[in-house]
Amino acid sequence: DSLLGEVLVVELNTAEPWPENATLYQPLREDQILLSDCASSLAVQAYLRMCGLPVRVCCRANAEYMSPSGKVPFIHVGNQVVSELGPIVQFTKAKGHSLSDGLDDVQRAEMKAYMELVNNMLLTAELYIQWCDDTTSSEITRPRYSSPYSWPLNHILAYQKQWEVRRKMNAIGWAGKTLEQVYEDVSQCCQALSQRLGTQPYFFNKQPTELDALVFGHLFTILTTRLTSDELSEKIKSYSNLLSFCRRIEQTYFEEMNGLIIIVQT
Amino acid sequence: MAAPLQLYCWRGDHGLPSVDADCLTVLAYAKFAGAPLKVHKITNPWRSPTGILPALKTREEGSFSQPSKIIIQLRKQKYNADYDLSAKECADTLAFVSLLEEKLLPALIYTHWVDAKNYVDVTRRWYAENIPFPLNFLLPNRIHGRQLERLRLVRGDPTLEPGEQLEKELYHDALECMTLLSQRLGSQKFFFGDSPSSLDAYVFGHLAPLLKIKLPNGKLQQHLNSLDNLRQFCTNILVLYFPSESREAPAKKVSNHADGGDFDNEPHKRRNQILSVLFAVGAMLGYAFLSGIITIKHTPARLEEPHVDEEEEEED
Repeated sequence: DSLLGEVLVVELNTAEPWPENATLYQPLREDQILLSDCASSLAVQAYLRMCGLPVRVCCRANAEYMSPSGKVPFIHVGNQVVSELGPIVQFTKAKGHSLSDGLDDVQRAEMKAYMELVNNMLLTAELYIQWCDDTTSSEITRPRYSSPYSWPLNHILAYQKQWEVRRKMNAIGWAGKTLEQVYEDVSQCCQALSQRLGTQPYFFNKQPTELDALVFGHLFTILTTRLTSDELSEKIKSYSNLLSFCRRIEQTYFEEMNGLIIIVQT
Repeated sequence: MAAPLQLYCWRGDHGLPSVDADCLTVLAYAKFAGAPLKVHKITNPWRSPTGILPALKTREEGSFSQPSKIIIQLRKQKYNADYDLSAKECADTLAFVSLLEEKLLPALIYTHWVDAKNYVDVTRRWYAENIPFPLNFLLPNRIHGRQLERLRLVRGDPTLEPGEQLEKELYHDALECMTLLSQRLGSQKFFFGDSPSSLDAYVFGHLAPLLKIKLPNGKLQQHLNSLDNLRQFCTNILVLYFPSESREAPAKKVSNHADGGDFDNEPHKRRNQILSVLFAVGAMLGYAFLSGIITIKHTPARLEEPHVDEEEEEED
Protein backbone atom coordinates (compact mmCIF):
# COMPACT_ATOMS: atom_id res chain seq x y z
CA ASP A 1 0.00 0.00 0.00
CA SER A 2 1.27 3.43 -0.78
CA LEU A 3 1.86 6.12 1.78
CA LEU A 4 -0.46 8.51 0.01
CA GLY A 5 -3.20 5.90 -0.14
CA GLU A 6 -2.91 5.43 3.60
CA VAL A 7 -3.16 9.14 4.28
CA LEU A 8 -6.32 9.32 2.19
CA VAL A 9 -7.82 6.41 4.11
CA VAL A 10 -6.84 8.09 7.36
CA GLU A 11 -8.69 11.22 6.38
CA LEU A 12 -11.85 9.19 5.96
CA ASN A 13 -11.47 7.68 9.41
CA THR A 14 -10.72 10.77 11.48
CA ALA A 15 -13.81 10.29 13.56
CA GLU A 16 -12.37 7.19 15.25
CA PRO A 17 -10.69 7.91 18.55
CA TRP A 18 -7.31 6.48 19.51
CA PRO A 19 -7.91 2.87 20.58
CA GLU A 20 -6.52 1.29 23.73
CA ASN A 21 -4.78 -1.53 21.90
CA ALA A 22 -2.54 0.53 19.62
CA THR A 23 0.71 -1.35 19.12
CA LEU A 24 4.18 -0.36 18.01
CA TYR A 25 6.32 -3.01 16.37
CA GLN A 26 10.11 -3.04 16.38
CA PRO A 27 12.84 -5.66 16.10
CA LEU A 28 13.90 -7.65 19.19
CA ARG A 29 15.32 -5.31 21.78
CA GLU A 30 18.00 -7.43 23.37
CA ASP A 31 19.69 -9.15 20.47
CA GLN A 32 18.53 -7.87 17.14
CA ILE A 33 17.69 -4.18 17.01
CA LEU A 34 20.33 -1.90 15.54
CA LEU A 35 21.31 1.60 16.59
CA SER A 36 19.46 3.37 13.76
CA ASP A 37 16.26 1.36 14.18
CA CYS A 38 16.34 1.77 17.95
CA ALA A 39 16.70 5.53 17.52
CA SER A 40 13.76 5.72 15.11
CA SER A 41 11.62 3.57 17.40
CA LEU A 42 12.45 5.63 20.48
CA ALA A 43 11.61 8.82 18.57
CA VAL A 44 8.14 7.48 17.72
CA GLN A 45 7.58 6.30 21.29
CA ALA A 46 8.62 9.69 22.66
CA TYR A 47 6.31 11.46 20.22
CA LEU A 48 3.32 9.33 21.16
CA ARG A 49 4.02 9.81 24.87
CA MET A 50 4.27 13.56 24.33
CA CYS A 51 0.85 13.47 22.66
CA GLY A 52 -0.50 11.45 25.56
CA LEU A 53 -1.42 8.54 23.28
CA PRO A 54 -0.95 5.11 24.85
CA VAL A 55 0.86 2.49 22.81
CA ARG A 56 2.14 -1.01 23.54
CA VAL A 57 5.61 -1.90 22.33
CA CYS A 58 5.80 -5.30 20.69
CA CYS A 59 9.12 -6.83 19.63
CA ARG A 60 9.11 -9.10 16.61
CA ALA A 61 12.04 -10.59 14.73
CA ASN A 62 10.38 -9.91 11.38
CA ALA A 63 9.18 -6.38 12.12
CA GLU A 64 11.10 -5.03 9.14
CA TYR A 65 9.24 -7.34 6.79
CA MET A 66 5.86 -6.64 8.36
CA SER A 67 6.22 -2.92 7.85
CA PRO A 68 4.42 -1.50 4.80
CA SER A 69 7.43 0.58 3.76
CA GLY A 70 10.14 -1.82 4.90
CA LYS A 71 11.26 0.53 7.65
CA VAL A 72 10.75 0.24 11.36
CA PRO A 73 9.04 1.14 13.58
CA PHE A 74 5.45 0.94 12.53
CA ILE A 75 2.26 1.27 14.51
CA HIS A 76 -0.91 -0.73 14.22
CA VAL A 77 -3.88 1.40 15.20
CA GLY A 78 -7.40 0.15 14.67
CA ASN A 79 -7.22 -1.28 11.18
CA GLN A 80 -4.41 0.93 9.89
CA VAL A 81 -0.69 0.32 9.72
CA VAL A 82 1.58 3.37 9.50
CA SER A 83 5.36 3.34 9.50
CA GLU A 84 8.05 5.97 10.12
CA LEU A 85 7.80 9.15 12.15
CA GLY A 86 6.70 11.50 9.34
CA PRO A 87 3.59 9.55 8.31
CA ILE A 88 2.80 8.74 11.97
CA VAL A 89 2.81 12.47 12.79
CA GLN A 90 0.40 13.10 9.90
CA PHE A 91 -1.75 10.19 11.04
CA THR A 92 -2.08 11.50 14.59
CA LYS A 93 -2.73 14.99 13.25
CA ALA A 94 -5.66 13.61 11.26
CA LYS A 95 -6.98 12.15 14.50
CA GLY A 96 -6.79 15.56 16.11
CA HIS A 97 -3.56 15.25 18.10
CA SER A 98 -0.78 17.60 17.14
CA LEU A 99 2.20 19.10 18.91
CA SER A 100 3.06 21.74 16.33
CA ASP A 101 -0.22 23.62 15.99
CA GLY A 102 1.01 26.53 18.05
CA LEU A 103 3.91 27.28 15.73
CA ASP A 104 3.82 30.07 13.18
CA ASP A 105 4.88 29.54 9.56
CA VAL A 106 8.54 30.43 9.99
CA GLN A 107 8.85 28.21 13.05
CA ARG A 108 7.17 25.33 11.28
CA ALA A 109 9.59 25.72 8.37
CA GLU A 110 12.50 25.63 10.80
CA MET A 111 11.10 22.62 12.61
CA LYS A 112 10.76 20.63 9.38
CA ALA A 113 14.23 21.74 8.28
CA TYR A 114 15.84 20.61 11.54
CA MET A 115 14.02 17.29 11.37
CA GLU A 116 15.50 16.77 7.92
CA LEU A 117 18.89 17.75 9.33
CA VAL A 118 18.63 14.89 11.81
CA ASN A 119 17.50 12.50 9.08
CA ASN A 120 20.07 13.66 6.58
CA MET A 121 23.12 13.82 8.82
CA LEU A 122 22.56 11.93 12.04
CA LEU A 123 20.61 8.97 10.71
CA THR A 124 22.86 8.62 7.66
CA ALA A 125 25.92 8.77 9.93
CA GLU A 126 24.43 6.02 12.11
CA LEU A 127 23.82 3.86 9.05
CA TYR A 128 27.33 4.55 7.80
CA ILE A 129 28.96 3.61 11.10
CA GLN A 130 26.87 0.49 11.41
CA TRP A 131 27.25 -0.89 7.92
CA CYS A 132 30.17 0.78 6.14
CA ASP A 133 32.75 0.66 8.92
CA ASP A 134 34.24 -2.81 8.66
CA THR A 135 34.99 -3.24 12.36
CA THR A 136 31.54 -2.27 13.57
CA SER A 137 29.86 -4.15 10.78
CA SER A 138 31.59 -7.44 11.46
CA GLU A 139 31.65 -7.25 15.26
CA ILE A 140 28.26 -5.78 16.03
CA THR A 141 25.93 -5.09 13.14
CA ARG A 142 25.96 -8.29 11.12
CA PRO A 143 25.78 -10.63 14.12
CA ARG A 144 22.91 -8.63 15.60
CA TYR A 145 20.96 -8.25 12.36
CA SER A 146 21.15 -11.95 11.59
CA SER A 147 20.67 -13.28 15.13
CA PRO A 148 17.08 -14.61 14.71
CA TYR A 149 17.98 -16.66 11.65
CA SER A 150 19.86 -19.90 11.18
CA TRP A 151 22.70 -20.66 8.80
CA PRO A 152 22.93 -19.93 5.87
CA LEU A 153 20.08 -17.42 5.87
CA ASN A 154 21.76 -15.27 8.49
CA HIS A 155 24.82 -14.68 6.33
CA ILE A 156 22.79 -14.05 3.20
CA LEU A 157 20.44 -11.52 4.80
CA ALA A 158 23.20 -9.68 6.61
CA TYR A 159 25.39 -9.32 3.54
CA GLN A 160 22.42 -8.39 1.39
CA LYS A 161 21.45 -5.58 3.77
CA GLN A 162 25.05 -4.42 4.00
CA TRP A 163 25.38 -4.33 0.23
CA GLU A 164 22.13 -2.36 -0.07
CA VAL A 165 23.21 0.23 2.50
CA ARG A 166 26.64 0.61 0.90
CA ARG A 167 25.04 1.21 -2.49
CA LYS A 168 22.82 3.86 -0.95
CA MET A 169 25.85 5.57 0.59
CA ASN A 170 27.47 5.51 -2.80
CA ALA A 171 24.45 7.06 -4.46
CA ILE A 172 24.25 9.96 -2.02
CA GLY A 173 27.97 10.65 -2.06
CA TRP A 174 28.91 9.31 1.39
CA ALA A 175 30.95 6.39 0.10
CA GLY A 176 34.09 8.48 -0.21
CA LYS A 177 33.95 9.65 3.39
CA THR A 178 36.26 8.33 6.05
CA LEU A 179 35.06 7.49 9.56
CA GLU A 180 36.75 10.65 10.83
CA GLN A 181 34.78 12.77 8.39
CA VAL A 182 31.55 11.10 9.46
CA TYR A 183 32.31 11.85 13.12
CA GLU A 184 33.01 15.42 12.08
CA ASP A 185 29.61 15.60 10.34
CA VAL A 186 27.93 14.30 13.49
CA SER A 187 29.75 16.94 15.47
CA GLN A 188 28.54 19.67 13.11
CA CYS A 189 25.01 18.38 13.32
CA CYS A 190 25.12 18.36 17.13
CA GLN A 191 26.56 21.84 17.12
CA ALA A 192 23.69 23.06 14.97
CA LEU A 193 21.15 21.37 17.24
CA SER A 194 22.84 22.74 20.33
CA GLN A 195 22.83 26.24 18.83
CA ARG A 196 19.16 26.01 17.98
CA LEU A 197 18.24 24.66 21.41
CA GLY A 198 20.24 27.28 23.28
CA THR A 199 19.08 27.54 26.88
CA GLN A 200 15.44 26.72 26.19
CA PRO A 201 13.85 23.59 27.66
CA TYR A 202 12.62 22.44 24.24
CA PHE A 203 13.38 23.49 20.69
CA PHE A 204 10.32 25.70 20.48
CA ASN A 205 10.44 26.99 23.99
CA LYS A 206 7.85 25.64 26.39
CA GLN A 207 6.19 22.82 24.49
CA PRO A 208 7.83 19.78 22.96
CA THR A 209 7.22 19.07 19.29
CA GLU A 210 8.00 16.18 16.96
CA LEU A 211 11.46 17.69 16.49
CA ASP A 212 12.17 17.20 20.21
CA ALA A 213 10.98 13.60 19.98
CA LEU A 214 13.21 12.90 16.97
CA VAL A 215 16.31 14.51 18.47
CA PHE A 216 15.75 12.74 21.79
CA GLY A 217 15.33 9.38 20.04
CA HIS A 218 18.62 9.65 18.23
CA LEU A 219 20.75 11.30 20.90
CA PHE A 220 19.53 9.08 23.73
CA THR A 221 20.13 5.92 21.71
CA ILE A 222 23.64 7.01 20.75
CA LEU A 223 24.44 7.86 24.36
CA THR A 224 23.21 4.54 25.70
CA THR A 225 24.51 2.14 23.06
CA ARG A 226 27.95 0.66 23.19
CA LEU A 227 29.76 0.60 19.86
CA THR A 228 33.33 -0.35 19.05
CA SER A 229 34.48 3.10 20.06
CA ASP A 230 33.04 5.81 22.27
CA GLU A 231 33.79 8.61 19.88
CA LEU A 232 30.19 9.05 18.72
CA SER A 233 28.78 9.48 22.21
CA GLU A 234 31.72 11.67 23.19
CA LYS A 235 30.78 14.05 20.38
CA ILE A 236 27.34 14.48 21.91
CA LYS A 237 28.57 14.68 25.49
CA SER A 238 30.59 17.76 24.62
CA TYR A 239 27.32 19.71 24.31
CA SER A 240 25.94 20.01 27.82
CA ASN A 241 22.59 21.50 26.81
CA LEU A 242 21.88 18.47 24.62
CA LEU A 243 22.69 16.16 27.55
CA SER A 244 20.35 17.99 29.90
CA PHE A 245 17.71 18.06 27.13
CA CYS A 246 17.83 14.25 26.90
CA ARG A 247 17.71 13.87 30.69
CA ARG A 248 14.75 16.20 30.88
CA ILE A 249 12.69 14.30 28.33
CA GLU A 250 13.67 10.97 29.86
CA GLN A 251 12.53 12.13 33.29
CA THR A 252 9.32 13.71 32.06
CA TYR A 253 8.06 11.08 29.63
CA PHE A 254 9.89 7.86 30.40
CA GLU A 255 9.69 7.64 34.19
CA GLU A 256 10.15 3.88 34.27
CA MET A 257 13.43 4.20 32.41
CA ASN A 258 14.71 6.80 34.86
CA GLY A 259 18.44 6.65 35.28
CA LEU A 260 18.99 4.68 32.09
CA ILE A 261 21.11 7.44 30.71
CA ILE A 262 23.85 6.27 33.05
CA ILE A 263 23.52 2.59 32.19
CA VAL A 264 25.10 1.41 28.98
CA GLN A 265 23.35 -1.39 27.17
CA THR A 266 25.29 -3.71 24.89
CA MET B 1 48.90 35.45 -14.29
CA ALA B 2 46.58 32.49 -14.46
CA ALA B 3 44.08 32.18 -11.63
CA PRO B 4 45.07 29.34 -9.31
CA LEU B 5 41.51 28.07 -9.02
CA GLN B 6 39.82 26.51 -12.00
CA LEU B 7 36.24 25.36 -12.09
CA TYR B 8 34.90 22.92 -14.62
CA CYS B 9 31.17 22.86 -15.06
CA TRP B 10 28.37 22.09 -17.48
CA ARG B 11 27.60 24.64 -20.13
CA GLY B 12 24.68 26.95 -19.69
CA ASP B 13 21.49 27.40 -21.64
CA HIS B 14 18.02 28.94 -21.37
CA GLY B 15 19.45 31.99 -19.65
CA LEU B 16 21.33 30.05 -16.97
CA PRO B 17 25.10 29.99 -16.46
CA SER B 18 24.88 26.20 -16.21
CA VAL B 19 22.14 23.62 -16.69
CA ASP B 20 23.21 21.45 -13.76
CA ALA B 21 22.02 22.19 -10.21
CA ASP B 22 25.35 21.39 -8.51
CA CYS B 23 27.30 23.54 -10.97
CA LEU B 24 24.89 26.43 -10.43
CA THR B 25 25.29 26.13 -6.66
CA VAL B 26 29.07 26.33 -6.91
CA LEU B 27 29.04 29.17 -9.46
CA ALA B 28 26.64 31.19 -7.31
CA TYR B 29 28.69 30.60 -4.15
CA ALA B 30 31.87 31.67 -5.92
CA LYS B 31 30.21 34.89 -7.05
CA PHE B 32 28.83 35.57 -3.57
CA ALA B 33 32.21 34.98 -1.94
CA GLY B 34 34.11 36.92 -4.57
CA ALA B 35 36.34 34.00 -5.47
CA PRO B 36 38.36 34.58 -8.63
CA LEU B 37 37.69 31.44 -10.60
CA LYS B 38 38.63 30.55 -14.12
CA VAL B 39 35.46 28.85 -15.28
CA HIS B 40 35.65 26.21 -17.97
CA LYS B 41 32.22 25.52 -19.40
CA ILE B 42 32.40 22.14 -21.01
CA THR B 43 30.01 19.49 -22.17
CA ASN B 44 32.20 16.47 -21.71
CA PRO B 45 32.44 15.29 -18.10
CA TRP B 46 35.35 13.04 -18.99
CA ARG B 47 37.47 16.12 -19.54
CA SER B 48 37.03 17.29 -15.98
CA PRO B 49 39.91 16.55 -13.57
CA THR B 50 37.77 14.24 -11.42
CA GLY B 51 35.59 12.73 -14.12
CA ILE B 52 32.39 14.39 -12.93
CA LEU B 53 31.06 17.91 -13.01
CA PRO B 54 31.34 20.30 -11.21
CA ALA B 55 35.03 20.01 -10.38
CA LEU B 56 37.37 22.47 -8.73
CA LYS B 57 41.05 22.26 -9.60
CA THR B 58 43.48 23.90 -7.22
CA ARG B 59 47.19 24.25 -7.75
CA GLU B 60 48.38 22.71 -4.51
CA GLU B 61 45.63 20.50 -3.24
CA GLY B 62 44.32 18.62 -6.22
CA SER B 63 40.77 18.45 -7.44
CA PHE B 64 37.44 18.25 -5.65
CA SER B 65 34.04 17.32 -6.83
CA GLN B 66 30.88 17.57 -4.75
CA PRO B 67 29.43 21.05 -4.07
CA SER B 68 29.90 20.68 -0.30
CA LYS B 69 33.57 19.75 -0.73
CA ILE B 70 34.13 22.56 -3.23
CA ILE B 71 32.58 25.10 -0.87
CA ILE B 72 34.73 23.84 2.02
CA GLN B 73 37.82 24.20 -0.19
CA LEU B 74 36.85 27.74 -1.18
CA ARG B 75 36.35 28.57 2.48
CA LYS B 76 39.83 27.24 3.26
CA GLN B 77 41.19 29.64 0.69
CA LYS B 78 39.45 32.45 2.58
CA TYR B 79 36.54 32.89 0.18
CA ASN B 80 33.73 32.64 2.67
CA ALA B 81 30.24 33.91 1.94
CA ASP B 82 29.08 32.89 5.43
CA TYR B 83 31.54 35.08 7.30
CA ASP B 84 28.89 37.41 8.65
CA LEU B 85 26.44 34.76 9.75
CA SER B 86 25.72 34.19 13.43
CA ALA B 87 26.07 30.70 14.88
CA LYS B 88 22.30 30.22 14.81
CA GLU B 89 22.18 31.22 11.14
CA CYS B 90 24.92 28.71 10.35
CA ALA B 91 22.86 26.05 12.10
CA ASP B 92 19.80 27.09 10.09
CA THR B 93 21.88 26.82 6.90
CA LEU B 94 22.74 23.20 7.67
CA ALA B 95 19.11 22.44 8.45
CA PHE B 96 17.66 24.04 5.32
CA VAL B 97 20.27 22.47 3.05
CA SER B 98 19.27 19.10 4.52
CA LEU B 99 15.63 19.96 3.83
CA LEU B 100 16.50 20.71 0.21
CA GLU B 101 18.41 17.48 -0.22
CA GLU B 102 15.83 15.25 1.44
CA LYS B 103 12.58 16.73 0.15
CA LEU B 104 13.23 18.74 -3.00
CA LEU B 105 16.13 17.00 -4.70
CA PRO B 106 14.40 13.63 -5.29
CA ALA B 107 11.50 15.40 -7.01
CA LEU B 108 13.91 17.44 -9.13
CA ILE B 109 15.76 14.28 -10.15
CA TYR B 110 12.42 12.72 -11.03
CA THR B 111 11.14 15.65 -13.05
CA HIS B 112 14.31 16.15 -15.08
CA TRP B 113 15.60 12.62 -15.51
CA VAL B 114 12.96 10.01 -14.77
CA ASP B 115 9.61 11.42 -15.92
CA ALA B 116 9.24 9.93 -19.40
CA LYS B 117 8.03 12.95 -21.31
CA ASN B 118 10.40 15.44 -19.68
CA TYR B 119 13.40 13.18 -20.04
CA VAL B 120 12.89 12.35 -23.71
CA ASP B 121 11.70 15.75 -24.92
CA VAL B 122 13.96 18.06 -22.98
CA THR B 123 16.77 16.60 -20.89
CA ARG B 124 17.98 13.83 -23.14
CA ARG B 125 17.63 16.02 -26.18
CA TRP B 126 19.73 18.80 -24.65
CA TYR B 127 22.47 16.43 -23.49
CA ALA B 128 22.49 14.45 -26.74
CA GLU B 129 22.79 17.64 -28.77
CA ASN B 130 25.52 19.14 -26.65
CA ILE B 131 27.78 16.30 -25.61
CA PRO B 132 30.38 15.50 -28.26
CA PHE B 133 30.25 12.34 -30.34
CA PRO B 134 30.33 9.46 -29.42
CA LEU B 135 29.52 10.11 -25.75
CA ASN B 136 26.18 11.62 -26.66
CA PHE B 137 24.86 8.14 -27.33
CA LEU B 138 26.18 6.75 -24.05
CA LEU B 139 25.95 9.35 -21.33
CA PRO B 140 22.35 10.53 -21.22
CA ASN B 141 21.02 7.00 -20.81
CA ARG B 142 23.69 6.16 -18.30
CA ILE B 143 22.86 9.20 -16.20
CA HIS B 144 19.16 8.34 -16.51
CA GLY B 145 19.83 4.82 -15.20
CA ARG B 146 21.95 6.14 -12.36
CA GLN B 147 19.35 8.69 -11.27
CA LEU B 148 16.59 6.09 -11.26
CA GLU B 149 18.84 3.79 -9.22
CA ARG B 150 19.52 6.64 -6.80
CA LEU B 151 15.80 7.27 -6.32
CA ARG B 152 15.28 3.56 -5.67
CA LEU B 153 18.05 3.43 -3.06
CA VAL B 154 17.00 6.61 -1.31
CA ARG B 155 13.38 5.47 -1.06
CA GLY B 156 14.48 2.01 -0.02
CA ASP B 157 12.34 0.33 -2.65
CA PRO B 158 14.24 -1.71 -5.25
CA THR B 159 11.16 -2.26 -7.37
CA LEU B 160 10.28 1.39 -7.78
CA GLU B 161 9.02 2.29 -11.22
CA PRO B 162 8.37 5.76 -12.60
CA GLY B 163 4.67 6.39 -12.55
CA GLU B 164 1.85 8.43 -11.15
CA GLN B 165 2.08 7.09 -7.61
CA LEU B 166 5.77 7.88 -7.18
CA GLU B 167 5.29 11.23 -8.88
CA LYS B 168 2.48 12.18 -6.48
CA GLU B 169 4.52 11.33 -3.39
CA LEU B 170 7.69 13.07 -4.55
CA TYR B 171 5.88 16.16 -5.77
CA HIS B 172 3.86 16.40 -2.56
CA ASP B 173 7.09 16.59 -0.56
CA ALA B 174 8.67 19.01 -3.02
CA LEU B 175 5.71 21.38 -3.09
CA GLU B 176 5.70 21.45 0.70
CA CYS B 177 9.44 22.11 0.72
CA MET B 178 9.11 25.02 -1.72
CA THR B 179 6.29 26.50 0.35
CA LEU B 180 8.42 26.20 3.50
CA LEU B 181 11.34 27.92 1.77
CA SER B 182 9.03 30.66 0.63
CA GLN B 183 7.76 31.13 4.17
CA ARG B 184 11.28 31.26 5.56
CA LEU B 185 12.40 33.76 2.91
CA GLY B 186 9.44 36.02 3.53
CA SER B 187 9.96 39.42 1.99
CA GLN B 188 13.72 39.50 2.50
CA LYS B 189 16.11 39.83 -0.37
CA PHE B 190 18.21 36.85 0.71
CA PHE B 191 17.68 34.23 3.38
CA PHE B 192 19.83 35.96 5.99
CA GLY B 193 19.34 39.62 5.31
CA ASP B 194 20.93 41.73 2.62
CA SER B 195 23.95 39.74 1.61
CA PRO B 196 23.81 36.27 0.10
CA SER B 197 25.26 33.20 1.79
CA SER B 198 25.79 29.53 0.98
CA LEU B 199 22.13 28.70 1.67
CA ASP B 200 21.13 31.19 -1.03
CA ALA B 201 23.57 29.45 -3.39
CA TYR B 202 22.04 26.03 -2.70
CA VAL B 203 18.46 27.24 -3.07
CA PHE B 204 19.32 29.12 -6.25
CA GLY B 205 21.15 26.11 -7.68
CA HIS B 206 18.17 23.83 -7.15
CA LEU B 207 15.36 26.20 -8.14
CA ALA B 208 16.84 28.08 -11.09
CA PRO B 209 16.80 25.13 -13.54
CA LEU B 210 13.20 24.50 -12.56
CA LEU B 211 12.35 28.10 -13.26
CA LYS B 212 14.13 28.50 -16.57
CA ILE B 213 14.07 25.17 -18.37
CA LYS B 214 10.59 24.68 -19.81
CA LEU B 215 9.30 21.16 -19.25
CA PRO B 216 6.22 19.54 -20.84
CA ASN B 217 5.18 18.06 -17.49
CA GLY B 218 5.59 21.14 -15.36
CA LYS B 219 3.68 20.75 -12.10
CA LEU B 220 6.68 21.76 -10.00
CA GLN B 221 7.28 24.73 -12.27
CA GLN B 222 3.72 25.91 -11.86
CA HIS B 223 4.00 25.80 -8.10
CA LEU B 224 7.32 27.63 -8.15
CA ASN B 225 5.86 30.31 -10.40
CA SER B 226 3.05 30.81 -7.94
CA LEU B 227 5.55 31.54 -5.15
CA ASP B 228 6.41 35.11 -6.08
CA ASN B 229 9.18 35.68 -3.58
CA LEU B 230 11.13 32.59 -4.63
CA ARG B 231 10.78 33.45 -8.29
CA GLN B 232 11.91 36.99 -7.57
CA PHE B 233 14.81 35.61 -5.51
CA CYS B 234 16.12 33.52 -8.42
CA THR B 235 15.63 36.23 -11.03
CA ASN B 236 17.36 38.70 -8.73
CA ILE B 237 20.46 36.54 -8.39
CA LEU B 238 20.57 35.95 -12.14
CA VAL B 239 20.36 39.65 -12.89
CA LEU B 240 22.80 40.74 -10.19
CA TYR B 241 25.45 38.04 -10.46
CA PHE B 242 25.07 36.54 -13.93
CA PRO B 243 24.02 39.50 -16.07
CA SER B 244 25.63 38.22 -19.28
CA GLU B 245 23.58 35.03 -19.25
CA SER B 246 20.25 36.71 -18.67
CA ARG B 247 20.94 39.12 -21.52
CA GLU B 248 21.45 36.26 -23.96
CA ALA B 249 18.30 34.49 -22.90
CA PRO B 250 15.63 36.75 -24.47
CA ALA B 251 17.26 36.52 -27.93
CA LYS B 252 17.45 32.76 -27.74
CA LYS B 253 13.90 32.41 -26.52
CA VAL B 254 12.55 34.41 -29.46
CA SER B 255 14.29 32.22 -32.01
CA ASN B 256 13.06 29.09 -30.29
CA HIS B 257 9.49 30.28 -30.37
CA ALA B 258 9.74 31.23 -34.03
CA ASP B 259 10.92 27.79 -35.00
CA GLY B 260 8.56 25.89 -32.80
CA GLY B 261 9.40 22.55 -31.28
CA ASP B 262 8.39 20.20 -34.09
CA PHE B 263 9.55 22.26 -37.00
CA ASP B 264 13.13 21.82 -35.81
CA ASN B 265 12.67 18.10 -36.06
CA GLU B 266 11.29 17.96 -39.59
CA PRO B 267 14.32 18.86 -41.76
CA HIS B 268 16.37 16.26 -39.88
CA LYS B 269 13.59 13.71 -40.13
CA ARG B 270 13.20 14.16 -43.90
CA ARG B 271 16.93 14.07 -44.44
CA ASN B 272 17.30 10.95 -42.33
CA GLN B 273 14.50 9.22 -44.17
CA ILE B 274 16.00 9.97 -47.60
CA LEU B 275 19.45 8.93 -46.47
CA SER B 276 18.21 5.66 -45.04
CA VAL B 277 16.26 4.83 -48.23
CA LEU B 278 19.31 5.57 -50.35
CA PHE B 279 21.48 3.45 -48.10
CA ALA B 280 19.05 0.54 -48.32
CA VAL B 281 18.79 0.74 -52.11
CA GLY B 282 22.59 0.99 -52.40
CA ALA B 283 23.02 -2.04 -50.17
CA MET B 284 20.56 -4.11 -52.16
CA LEU B 285 22.18 -3.17 -55.49
CA GLY B 286 25.63 -3.93 -54.14
CA TYR B 287 24.53 -7.37 -52.96
CA ALA B 288 22.86 -8.00 -56.30
CA PHE B 289 26.04 -7.19 -58.22
CA LEU B 290 28.33 -9.15 -55.96
CA SER B 291 26.27 -12.31 -56.02
CA GLY B 292 25.76 -12.18 -59.77
CA ILE B 293 22.02 -11.71 -59.85
CA ILE B 294 22.65 -8.65 -62.01
CA THR B 295 25.60 -8.40 -64.36
CA ILE B 296 26.55 -5.70 -66.79
CA LYS B 297 27.72 -6.93 -70.21
CA HIS B 298 29.94 -4.84 -72.48
CA THR B 299 28.66 -5.51 -76.04
CA PRO B 300 31.30 -3.62 -78.22
CA ALA B 301 34.37 -5.73 -77.18
CA ARG B 302 32.75 -9.17 -77.73
CA LEU B 303 35.12 -10.49 -80.49
CA GLU B 304 38.24 -10.46 -78.28
CA GLU B 305 36.76 -11.55 -74.99
CA PRO B 306 36.22 -15.30 -75.51
CA HIS B 307 39.97 -15.87 -76.10
CA VAL B 308 40.88 -14.01 -72.98
CA ASP B 309 38.31 -15.86 -71.00
CA GLU B 310 39.41 -19.29 -72.26
CA GLU B 311 43.00 -18.58 -71.47
CA GLU B 312 42.08 -17.56 -68.01
CA GLU B 313 40.05 -20.67 -67.48
CA GLU B 314 42.88 -22.92 -68.64
CA GLU B 315 45.25 -21.30 -66.25
CA ASP B 316 42.86 -21.99 -63.44
